[in-house]
Amino acid sequence: MDHNKQQDTAHAPAQRKEMTRRQFLSYTLGGAGAFMAGGAILPMIRFAVDPILQKKEKGNFVKVIEESKVTSEPTEVKFKVHQVDGWYESDPKLSAWIAKGDDGKIFALSPVCKHLGCTVSWAAESPTEYHCPCHGARYTKDGKTLAVAPKSLDEYEVKLDNGWVYLGPIEPNTRA
Amino acid sequence: MFKSMYNWIDERLDITPMWRDIADHEVPEHVNPAHHFSAFVYCFGGLTFFITVIQILSGMFLTMYYVPDIINAYYSVDYLQHQVAFGAIVRGMHHWGASLVIVMMFLHTLRVFFTGSYKAPREMNWIVGMLIFFVMLGLGFTGYLLPWDNKAYYATKVGLEIAGSVPYLGDYIKELMNGGTIVGAQTLTRFFAIHVFFLPGALLALLAGHFIMIRKQGISGPL
Amino acid sequence: MAHKHDPNEKIVYVGDSRIRKRAKSNVSPPDYTAFPGKSEAFIPNFLLKEWMVGVVVLVGFLVLVIAEPAPLGYPADPLNSSFIPMPDWYFLFLYQLLKYPYASGDYIVLGILGLSGIPFIALLLAPFLDTGKERRFYRRPIASSLMLVSLAAIAYLTWVSWDHYQHELAKNGVIPEHIEREIKNEESIEKGLGRWVPGKEKIPAMVEAEDVAFTETMTQAACITCHGSELEGGVGPALRGIGDARSKEELFDAIMNGKGEGMPPFKGTLTDDQIEKVATWLSKQKAAAAE
Repeated sequence: MDHNKQQDTAHAPAQRKEMTRRQFLSYTLGGAGAFMAGGAILPMIRFAVDPILQKKEKGNFVKVIEESKVTSEPTEVKFKVHQVDGWYESDPKLSAWIAKGDDGKIFALSPVCKHLGCTVSWAAESPTEYHCPCHGARYTKDGKTLAVAPKSLDEYEVKLDNGWVYLGPIEPNTRA
Repeated sequence: MFKSMYNWIDERLDITPMWRDIADHEVPEHVNPAHHFSAFVYCFGGLTFFITVIQILSGMFLTMYYVPDIINAYYSVDYLQHQVAFGAIVRGMHHWGASLVIVMMFLHTLRVFFTGSYKAPREMNWIVGMLIFFVMLGLGFTGYLLPWDNKAYYATKVGLEIAGSVPYLGDYIKELMNGGTIVGAQTLTRFFAIHVFFLPGALLALLAGHFIMIRKQGISGPL
Repeated sequence: MAHKHDPNEKIVYVGDSRIRKRAKSNVSPPDYTAFPGKSEAFIPNFLLKEWMVGVVVLVGFLVLVIAEPAPLGYPADPLNSSFIPMPDWYFLFLYQLLKYPYASGDYIVLGILGLSGIPFIALLLAPFLDTGKERRFYRRPIASSLMLVSLAAIAYLTWVSWDHYQHELAKNGVIPEHIEREIKNEESIEKGLGRWVPGKEKIPAMVEAEDVAFTETMTQAACITCHGSELEGGVGPALRGIGDARSKEELFDAIMNGKGEGMPPFKGTLTDDQIEKVATWLSKQKAAAAE
């Protein structure tokens, strides 16, 4: 663009639709800046949110107790499950409260309180309730919430095979 | 020696005006505790900064021994506190300083609030100050997990459950902070990164803004 | 710094470097000549006074740091069901608030957004909510009283939460781990066993591992299901090195009649003679003998 033309552009009223040199440069600068920022940061964002997007592994079933030993009174069983936490693999001991319901079906509750994640125990305060020591959440034998907690206790998926009770992944309560 | 060095730099960069601006600006009587004892309430901001400097320094030194790994984190903290000379003091400074900085910042916020100092033209500085407050609380929350003892673990679990109960976004926030579905190895490294790099970076930027704005606008006048 | 004049130096004067007073500025004057009273330069006059306060605070801080070691409990155990969670003290009010029925359960949205989120956002935007020119707190009754009510609520909630925690500790007979740890550490040092680090206890090797009392009796009686197949501990305590802590009579009594909630009595399951032999074998499990 020669000098005269530039003068023209400057003086001409804004009737011409082409963008000015300055506008073009500004947009290009903005575009290049956006590319530089995006190109640098996008991989990092994907890197950071990876745990959300990773496929959740299906848990396996673990043999915990003989079917005949389960009564209508909840008993605590502890068992090990293979857990993969990134690069760290472990076999943490989990626990469940197993009981036979009024319908005669065996079910297992997770002792993790649905209020804020403390651990509940059976018959600690009242002989027929689960009680959480943190905030006094209470649940019925079926894990139905009575106070404080917003939801009922989670259940383990239960499988019966050959006289043994197997516990699987945790699922929302189906009994309450 | 120092003078000639100063002059050498000054000739090239003309730093005198900057330095004189910081050194010579007048501080009014109503914030000076030497004139009015009650003016000590104006010291809380400076004290917050002082403790923050202690936190940054002690934190930098703690990372010389600390490892953010669920097997070793606890034992590295135990080692640096009990086996390293002055470890109890350095960790103590970082631990108690974390509480003290919150106290000081709280008092500073109350002073600004009750003297109405956040009013025009200082609205932006109040907002930056509140952001600093939130960043500090974030530093407190993430730092609490790092020793990886039961107290740290369960407090974090409860904290993340609270974050998880935010409507709609809760589960995502929780899982993102967890770095998975459980509080574990990846939570610890995440909290470490946030505690040591992300939040301090944000804090330094906000502090710079806070101070530049104070210098530009001056301390609010007497009531 | 360049305060004294040296005839050989070239000094560039930049005039009075205090920020120039702009003609049109709604920002407060950078110097305080407009205000009555004695103002003074920031460095060194004023900063010295502020640093005097800083010195006092630092001394108090260091005394606290030296007097009160930073707490460290036991290594995190995700399966510890008896641990009572406790956030750091400045989160207690929030923790307590979310316990109340109208802030938890079905009302959790109200608790999180209404009672916590909105006040924080209001605080963040305070300058735009309280827009009057008046700065004195007693001339701003709404803003001031809201803040005072919040302060009272925060203080009350923090206190209730702490009180509840102390109550739970007392009720369950729990000594906070960082204190218990210190006690055990001191005991261990007194006994000459050196510093005690939880989870790093050295379990002594087994003494006379081929003894029938262990290989047959204890296996049959299912001792190992709780105490570990190598007696390294599990649900029940480790039994290697038990001879240092318990006498043969105590061991005999524990096996015979049970102990605490976990240990069942073996009276009847095992003969007195078998129990006698097991107790004798266990009493030989001393750290010194294992070396």
